[in-house]
Amino acid sequence: MTMGGYAGQILYVNLSSGEIKKKPLDREFARKYIGGLGFGTRIYLDLIKENPAFDALSASNPFVLMTGPLTGMKLNGVARWTVCSKSPLTGFWGDSNVGGFFGAYLKFAGYDGIVIAGKAQTPSYLFINDETVEIRNAESYWGQDVYTVTDALKENLKPETKRAGQVLAIGPAGENLVRFASLINNKGHAAGRTGMGAVWGSKLLKAIFVSGTGQPEVAQPEKLEELKAELKVIYAESIGISAIHATGTATHMDVGIIGGDIPIKNWQLTDWDEINEIGPGMIEEKIFAGHKTCYGCGVACKKNAEVKDGPFKMEKGPGPEYETIATFGCMCLNSSIESIAKANEICNRNGMDTITCGSTIAFAIECFENGLITEKDTDGIRLTWGNSEAIVKMTEKIARREGFGAVLAQGSLKAAEHIGGNAADFLTTVKGLEAPMHDPRSAHGYGLAYAISPRGACHEASLTFEAEGGTIFIPEIPELSSDLPEGSEGRAELNVAAQDYGMFFSNCAVFCNLGGMPLNATQAINLVNYVTGFDYTLEEVLAAGRRLWYLKRGLTNLFGARAKDDRLPRRLMTVLEEGPTEGSVPDMDRMLAEFYELRDFDSDGVPTKKVLDQVGLPDLAALLHQS
Amino acid sequence: MGMFKDAETFEKVIVGFFNLVGNTPIIADKLLQSKMVIRFNYTDPDLVVVVDCAGDKAEVRPHDKTTTAVVEMSMSSDIAHRFWFGMVNLTKALTRKEMVAKGPIPKVLKLLPAIKPAYAMYPKYLDENGFRNYNITKAYTPPPSA
Repeated sequence: MTMGGYAGQILYVNLSSGEIKKKPLDREFARKYIGGLGFGTRIYLDLIKENPAFDALSASNPFVLMTGPLTGMKLNGVARWTVCSKSPLTGFWGDSNVGGFFGAYLKFAGYDGIVIAGKAQTPSYLFINDETVEIRNAESYWGQDVYTVTDALKENLKPETKRAGQVLAIGPAGENLVRFASLINNKGHAAGRTGMGAVWGSKLLKAIFVSGTGQPEVAQPEKLEELKAELKVIYAESIGISAIHATGTATHMDVGIIGGDIPIKNWQLTDWDEINEIGPGMIEEKIFAGHKTCYGCGVACKKNAEVKDGPFKMEKGPGPEYETIATFGCMCLNSSIESIAKANEICNRNGMDTITCGSTIAFAIECFENGLITEKDTDGIRLTWGNSEAIVKMTEKIARREGFGAVLAQGSLKAAEHIGGNAADFLTTVKGLEAPMHDPRSAHGYGLAYAISPRGACHEASLTFEAEGGTIFIPEIPELSSDLPEGSEGRAELNVAAQDYGMFFSNCAVFCNLGGMPLNATQAINLVNYVTGFDYTLEEVLAAGRRLWYLKRGLTNLFGARAKDDRLPRRLMTVLEEGPTEGSVPDMDRMLAEFYELRDFDSDGVPTKKVLDQVGLPDLAALLHQS
Repeated sequence: MGMFKDAETFEKVIVGFFNLVGNTPIIADKLLQSKMVIRFNYTDPDLVVVVDCAGDKAEVRPHDKTTTAVVEMSMSSDIAHRFWFGMVNLTKALTRKEMVAKGPIPKVLKLLPAIKPAYAMYPKYLDENGFRNYNITKAYTPPPSA
């Protein structure tokens, strides 16, 4: 049967030698690893396993970009694709998952993914136009912000291509090796977490331009159309979809505050009188400038923003999403939604992760409040709670690595080491990655998810956040549909199931966790089957997901992570004396012990040789258990 | 069987509370701005209540099955009760259809910030109006079964 969905080849680019190769996608490999990070992580391990000791910003660190089998289909919630590499922010495993248009266009050009090795001698960009692939000089674009280089490349390359192209680029933050620099497609779709933009910066890779005239095939089009008709009704009735279509992820500002999910004042509070100033109502009133979406997705959860005048004036462009609103807003006690939109624009233009950037500024504000740093350290900027102008100024300085901005450009963990004193008390990191804006004191499973995530504190490293938070309901998997009691009971089992299914759902098939939220497992698997022509069962995709999870865990172990790194920071474990989470902290000892047993880890936090062999990773087992 | 042994008790509790909320300016002003008319269809025990914010003051009308509502919300009385303590994961309840909403959902979600002060009012209201046994934030003793 036809292998639909896939473009059928992977592009290998060596920036040091200039060599470009196209390798056909092996059918058995596709079946086993499905796509996205399933492909990316396996390919990455194969590339580094001979010599896994290197710096994330060295030429030895490969970078892998992979689409999923559904990327490029005109379906809700499948425009996403993935990137992975060793993280310059954490020194451990790094990956990111992003929507937009780039993945679809890469498929149209005939490629399922790109593997980039080495380092260019001069600033370069990759030009992909169907079969034509070239490494080109980017000196004239180096230094340009993401918006400028995106527009310039699209315009300048238009005469060479039959169809309009898409650009994936870094901004000055990536060039300046800001440790949490991101990759940005179409000005607002960010591969944000873990500093993949700095990896590009270290390789002197400014951008990839892609244009293509092809279209991935569908193996079983009639069945797919039938399922699409069924899903149309389900999407129309979905309250979650209706909510994020109306106000985007910012909807969570109104919903999350009820149960104490939203961190405030660097995780010291769960309520704040001014919270509504940065909620969806105020966004609509003050900055909303239209809906946006990803390729082929009718959910349209993205929103444009515009600030017409005042100190935070910004042109119409991608607006801040929930995580950004929380990090630059309530985390800093900043009630100016205009300044949050401006900080978001600065992050997009410069290519920086808004979660780490905003959280690092909130951390710095607390250091300032406690006298660990003063205006002498911060170049005259009064880093005080709610000082929106200072927050925006510091965001710009971080992107440029200017003055105190260079300290914060390393992320909060390294900044705490630089600042000294008790600065580490204000950290919100796990494995060096700043926690996202969902409080484990409100849902204990998040705590375990953050602690054992291979890339550090992350709410999207599995589907734990979606399952415990309630946006998904997977009746085929008991752990993802049961009603757990409050507290930490059953959270280890929940995390294991959410990892196994999540690795299939959002890492390999690369469904969007938002646009795909109404799908149950049967529907999700059928979508993959009808597009690819494979006949996956739930058991098979869970096995593939489990294998990928151990791969990612093993890679982060290979880069040095151990049991001591599977801990929540003190700040997230501090009992709050009032509010919805009053008196509640996750029982980490219990959950970790249960999880280690379920996952068959040794006491050092490394999966045993036995379990790695069982899931089909004997090479990883050999690397981790050489003695 | 749910927490409320009969519809009469639940009606006293919920209608009394809605009237209190409707007479609390910090909440009522915003509800009235919305012009929203919501019908709550409760089960176990069964009860229908309309909250009508279309006029100059919020009106609470139990047993009103004829007014055309903008939004219909259906849920068990237990879910409703827990909701007003801030104990219901709204996202989960909606996803799992423990709460079913029909109508312009974004308009309903916009009311969440407005009603937020009501969560703190509910336990106090129960204590002060003879419903102390239903205050589940305290050591809860279920009412004697019928």
